[in-house]
Amino acid sequence: MNIAYNFAFFDEGSKREIRRATLKAIAIPGYQVPFASREMPIARGWGTGGLQLTLSLIGKNDILKVIDQGADESVNAVNIKKLVAKTTGVKTVDDTAEATLIQSRHRIPEIPLHEHQILVLQVPLPEPLRYFEPSEFITKHLHAEKEYSGSWLMLFEQIMKYGNMSTDADHPVMVHDRYVMAPSPIPRFDNPKMDHSDALILLGAGREKKVYAVPPYTKVVSLAFDDYSFEVERFEGACCRLCGAEDVFLDELIQEETGETLHQCNDTSYCISRLNEGSASTTRTAAKIGGVAE
Amino acid sequence: MKLDLVHDIQLAYRKLIDSMSRPGTISRFGEQAGAIESRAGCLDTTILLAMVLLDTEVTFKIYSEREEEITRLFNQLTYSKEAEAAYADYIFVLSDADTGQMERAVRSAKTGDLVNPHLSATLIVEAELIANDMHLVLTGPGIKETAGLRVLTDGSWIELRADKNSEYPMGIDMIFVDRKHQAVCIPRTTQIRERVNG
Repeated sequence: MNIAYNFAFFDEGSKREIRRATLKAIAIPGYQVPFASREMPIARGWGTGGLQLTLSLIGKNDILKVIDQGADESVNAVNIKKLVAKTTGVKTVDDTAEATLIQSRHRIPEIPLHEHQILVLQVPLPEPLRYFEPSEFITKHLHAEKEYSGSWLMLFEQIMKYGNMSTDADHPVMVHDRYVMAPSPIPRFDNPKMDHSDALILLGAGREKKVYAVPPYTKVVSLAFDDYSFEVERFEGACCRLCGAEDVFLDELIQEETGETLHQCNDTSYCISRLNEGSASTTRTAAKIGGVAE
Repeated sequence: MKLDLVHDIQLAYRKLIDSMSRPGTISRFGEQAGAIESRAGCLDTTILLAMVLLDTEVTFKIYSEREEEITRLFNQLTYSKEAEAAYADYIFVLSDADTGQMERAVRSAKTGDLVNPHLSATLIVEAELIANDMHLVLTGPGIKETAGLRVLTDGSWIELRADKNSEYPMGIDMIFVDRKHQAVCIPRTTQIRERVNG
């Protein structure tokens, strides 16, 4: 049976409701705007918030890139890409610079985004205060009163227990000196990319029915103490085993047989583009040498 | 009306997103607004924005000499219902509204509360002219350093808006449109400084 879906899957009323919430989210950076999250053909918690934002934004001329933990080819990314492409007919790409709309799960791409791009992040838990306060009623009031001692205490307790802030991914940030916000489970490595970003960043949580935003050129500061500063993950002495990149977020791969630890770029399209550049320059050099030899 | 209700509305929304996330950025809606060709007595861009934003889930209020007529039109186009200014989600101040009405619109617009600042009004104001010069200097989120803007309207709104937005995150967001199918957004986070000559 061939079902003719509306452009971008949604009916226009659904898009309009998400669009209104998105505009409000942009006007109040870091504030979680509730919206009527729709049932989607993928399970809640698998990127439905990001998907709904993408579908409300996308147009015929857009170029879409979807990544999952830095990979263009993982199941989640491929499924979302296929759904959007099938219901819109838009071009999908791996190249970050070419995309106008980037939906991502848990990473911000390595190459800096530009002002004509929109980054949509999938968010499982939008409420940064949920770790210590289960009530939505109370967390909303804590945000209203800018009462964030709980967040600070959480980080303080981590320092007491482990000697450092052990947040790993989803380290809370303060947006525009007003709202503490969950940046989605991006590694700490990516937190600084949100600060004064050239691109608009939208965050969508489908299961929790919230959208929020970081407009371009907005102050985003990772929570930290004067004597325990915020630190990103470091990979000192390590580089990507494929392209040799050093100042990027690396995956650790442990060889079961040898026990050896290898590193590889987490952002696959970045790694591939470097490999292609490398092979192109090697070919050029070989051609030059060949030319001289002739 | 030759407006494509899917693709033209999407394009208009993306321009609106661009202007809202970068206050002071003037977006041009000529292609989409031109497809409306209404003789309703308000700007085509205003009708376009109404169609992007309004439906049965939200309410609106019109300030105009032809309030009744335009209200009926918006209701017919979007099924959205009229509400008193203090309760309306979207307030439209048309070019034929008098100076007092502009001020009344800003004063009476709802600002949400501290728990739910998103339950606030958005004002859509028809201006005589929108241009990028340094008459007004804008700063805040979405602006790299500063942005320059000139908005010519009948009523004064800068001080009233500043009063209304004094308790951030409560406040109002404003969208100005002009006859050249241009629009610019000023969300509540934007600080406005009037440049004094001499």
